Amino acid sequence: MDKLLELWQASGLYNMGFGQLVMIAVGLLLLFLAIRKNFEPLLLVPIGFGGIMANIPEAGLAFSAVENAVHFAQPEVMKHLAEVLGIASTDPHDVAHAYHGANATVHAAAANAAMDHGYNNGMLYNFYSIAIASGAAPLLIFMGVGAMTDFGPLLANPKTLFLGAAAQFGIFATVLGAVLLSTLGIMDFSIQDAAAIGIIGGADGPTAIYVASMLAPHLLGAIAVAAYSYMALVPMIQPPIMRALTTEEERKISMVQLRHITKTEKIMFPILLLILVALLLPDAAPLLGMFCFGNLMRECGVVDRLSDTAQNALINIVTIFLGLSVGSKLSADKFLDVETLGILVLGIVAFGIGTACGVLMAKAMNRMQGGNAINPLIGSAGVSAVPMAARVSNKLGLEANPQNFLLMHAMGPNVAGVIGSAVAAGVMIKFVG
Amino acid sequence: MENLLSEGFTLMIFGMGFVFVFLTLLVFATGGMSKFVAKYAPEPAPQPAKPRAAAAPSKAGGSNDELVAVLTAAVHKYRSK
Repeated sequence: MDKLLELWQASGLYNMGFGQLVMIAVGLLLLFLAIRKNFEPLLLVPIGFGGIMANIPEAGLAFSAVENAVHFAQPEVMKHLAEVLGIASTDPHDVAHAYHGANATVHAAAANAAMDHGYNNGMLYNFYSIAIASGAAPLLIFMGVGAMTDFGPLLANPKTLFLGAAAQFGIFATVLGAVLLSTLGIMDFSIQDAAAIGIIGGADGPTAIYVASMLAPHLLGAIAVAAYSYMALVPMIQPPIMRALTTEEERKISMVQLRHITKTEKIMFPILLLILVALLLPDAAPLLGMFCFGNLMRECGVVDRLSDTAQNALINIVTIFLGLSVGSKLSADKFLDVETLGILVLGIVAFGIGTACGVLMAKAMNRMQGGNAINPLIGSAGVSAVPMAARVSNKLGLEANPQNFLLMHAMGPNVAGVIGSAVAAGVMIKFVG
Repeated sequence: MENLLSEGFTLMIFGMGFVFVFLTLLVFATGGMSKFVAKYAPEPAPQPAKPRAAAAPSKAGGSNDELVAVLTAAVHKYRSK
């Protein structure tokens, strides 16, 4: 009978907390959205599943060795940890608090102490530290995206870079919004948190994860989920804004065909971009450096094998680990918070402002060039979300004029948006990192 | 708290300004690069494409003639049997 009781007390059912139950439901919701509604399934399936695994009671998959030790709170282990952390109290809460506030040296010592007592890092925690905390996974994804990107439309019409710049206003406006919420006392965001939340408006998953991992790791789960959910919602969020800001005549404007781009230009562009980043904004070098590297592999034509790996096999492998790692941040104590709600709301505002600014910029450029050169619909593609945003521009253009194919014209601002959001990320890391 | 707000403003002005400056420079650099390439390393692609295009039909025509000749001979032989 005692054994039976012991088994019951070790079961997930007995130990399930309310928060964990809610988070498992959130994980199931993400799986439902991915599988049934086809919302960014490549990321939401691993994120949702990781989220469920992270909330299995007692398994501690998303916790470090020390956090697991604190969870079980055996007196002799607590005493040892308190000694290593240099505090008098052996209360698990105090130990956890001291551990989170400690510097890297003490962190390592505490981790070793916990491991001496037989506690280990959870699987998802290990994935997280290798893939995201190190910055590796978002950067490798960026390399793959670079290898998939064709800069042809951008090179044919470099002025579309301005649209990519304008759409980044959503990022900075949201930073201001988040700071305002803190000032009014509604939420509690630091300037770092605000910067990481703003990046959602860049509609670029890897960039958002990279910035969040550097500036606000405790918000990473919510930011990643918001970024990828809104990317999936691009076809629903953008069209009403685009219709509201353009007239029927403007939507009918058809643009002249793009000129042919030589191979030399395509090879030189990533190198040019890298040099410019190196000279002006070294903080954006990790992101744009990997992006340029991927693109050079694609365009140079002598390393097709590497380019093929970067845009297929490697990006798929990295996506699995990235998704599971993000899922590990969906633990109840970090996600079930009023701040998550704030992040979701601010994220969609960021997205809307970015779209609107892109369209307004395109309108202004159209006026300056005589009113019949640039269809303002391509401006909304300045938020990155490649290639969904460009497809949305194309679809709205076809609605207004069935002969009007804007897809290639919209790809220019679309890839400009990727560069723009990476530059914005570099600026954020530089100023508040 | 006021300090946080002003920090946010500074970040917005500087951030947006920098993004525009960077991308403006990129526009000019790209334009310059394209002109440079067009002047010093124009693509030789269209030239080899023409002779190949011209050669292809004649070759095809030649083999066609040959084929017709062979077929005619075969039909003749069959009929004369």
